[in-house]
Amino acid sequence: MSADLDCLSDPAHADFLTSGVSISVASCGADHIPNLTRGIGCDVSRDGPDLRVFVIAEQSRVLLDDLRSNRNVAVVFRQPGSHRTLQLKGHDASVESLVAGDARIIERYRGAFTAALAALGFGGEFVRALLGSGTGEVVAIRFTPTAVFPQTPGSGARRAPEGPR
Amino acid sequence: MNVRLDTIRECLEGALPGVMATCSADGAPNVAFLSQAEYVDGRHLALSYQFFNTTRRNILENPHARLIVTHPRTAERYRLLLRYLRTETGGPLFERMKAKLAGVASHSGMGDVFRLLGSDVCRVLEIERVPGPALAPPAPRPSLLAALRLTSARLALCRELDTLLTEALASLESRFGFRHTSVLLLDAAGTRLYTVASRGYESSGVGSEVAVGDGAIGVAAREATPIRIAYLAPAYAHAGASRSSAQPGSADALETRIALPALPEPRSRLAVPIRAFTRLLGVLYAESAQDLRFGYDDEDALVALAGQLGAAMLALRQAGDPDEGRASPEPEPLRPAGPPVVVRHHRGDDSVFLDDEYLIKGVAGAIFWTMMRDLVDAGRSTFNLRELRLDPRIPHGQGSDDLDARLLVLRRRLSECVAALRLESIGSGNFLLTAHRPPTLIDLVG
Repeated sequence: MSADLDCLSDPAHADFLTSGVSISVASCGADHIPNLTRGIGCDVSRDGPDLRVFVIAEQSRVLLDDLRSNRNVAVVFRQPGSHRTLQLKGHDASVESLVAGDARIIERYRGAFTAALAALGFGGEFVRALLGSGTGEVVAIRFTPTAVFPQTPGSGARRAPEGPR
Repeated sequence: MNVRLDTIRECLEGALPGVMATCSADGAPNVAFLSQAEYVDGRHLALSYQFFNTTRRNILENPHARLIVTHPRTAERYRLLLRYLRTETGGPLFERMKAKLAGVASHSGMGDVFRLLGSDVCRVLEIERVPGPALAPPAPRPSLLAALRLTSARLALCRELDTLLTEALASLESRFGFRHTSVLLLDAAGTRLYTVASRGYESSGVGSEVAVGDGAIGVAAREATPIRIAYLAPAYAHAGASRSSAQPGSADALETRIALPALPEPRSRLAVPIRAFTRLLGVLYAESAQDLRFGYDDEDALVALAGQLGAAMLALRQAGDPDEGRASPEPEPLRPAGPPVVVRHHRGDDSVFLDDEYLIKGVAGAIFWTMMRDLVDAGRSTFNLRELRLDPRIPHGQGSDDLDARLLVLRRRLSECVAALRLESIGSGNFLLTAHRPPTLIDLVG
């Protein structure tokens, strides 16, 4: 069940989305085949309702094509260890190039995610490989959330239609 | 598919959760974390279905799903396209996944939250290695196939159940590194399993029992499927893993009088059914104090080994020894000395106590009581397996083809209990019973 979108204006939510959470982005193709890629950071707009999720283009080609075609996107954020999970959906996704300062956001995310996985026994090298783009292009997916779904297991997720699987 | 599903099974062990995307019939994407994906065969996966949610609704509307799984050592990621086929809500696959999920849930603090409602079986249509860097794979483990080959060659030489099981468990330790193992056999009624051999425990636990359906071993027997759990899973502990403090003679507690050989808190379990043709003979069990100790390859190896054990056990039972039935000459009678050893037999369940210490019950108890009667009344000390099979004083023994296993349990129990009585194999299906202290027999109706 979608929660109130106003909750996204809560700074705590912005903090969560930009912390060391695991990020995954989904789309739907014209053939109704779902596509999926990993996010490597998130930037929450301070002066607007939209946000940007960074992905590695080479890993996400079909998904990016889907978004350019129909603009429907779903993004899930999960805190490793606690399983606190939030899914956002939007209908206006666009694919953009990075702007100044984005590299620093991605690097900050990498550090936070490394720390989160270190607590679970995964080393820094592992996380660098997991998030690494090599020399590949990184792009931003910008969208305005139109629905937000808390998916944390055990917090009513059993009843929540968008809950974890 | 460029990548074979069986080469990425380690990604399915649950160290890192998978992520799954689905689409509704009207094209709205949804993405959720996946607690568990189980390898079914080279073309099929099963996904855990725990909650009725959008993912569930979507997959029923539109059967395609996209899944990303991560290799826990190299960080390689694989993207799979799946087509949902059906949901299983019981049976071997469901029980395998339920047990594995119990470990994952307990490990992640979700023991009270995760509950498997079904196993969603999916056809794997595509597997793609997600482009990106990866860590070097860890140094290869010692070859399980080579270990299996050497073990198999050793087992093929065994002509007795005792040596077969001893060799199997010794090889599991020396060649596979499985340090805590046991073999349990199914009783004639098909309701309980009794421990016939173990290795790596302070106390052997031979003669201890597990009910079919109880814990990892009992579920493996009930469903005739391997049960493999990667983490501590209290829900799959065995009821008989701790010794009962019940008083001697209280028959209802006899099953727990001998503690099951078990680690106090095993963090990995692997229970594999031992079958011969379609018949379940027992369970081969391994456990470890380490998380994620047993993987798919270990499971494959143990299943293959259990297959050979089952065939060998059945062959030994059916063929017997070529000289079986040829009675051994009676040796010179031993002159027992010292205080008497009191042998108490309860007719109700054929339980036997030595100086108030519980020894054994059931078929093995009846065998032992028959032997003791012959020893005391007729001075007979040698017994033959074929004769015992036909002896009307062992009612449950007639028609039962596991007397060799029952005798093995009896011999091992005697060697662990009062030192005054011993039963040894002297070859050709013959056994020698010796009493070093004078036995006093008490036969009770109850």
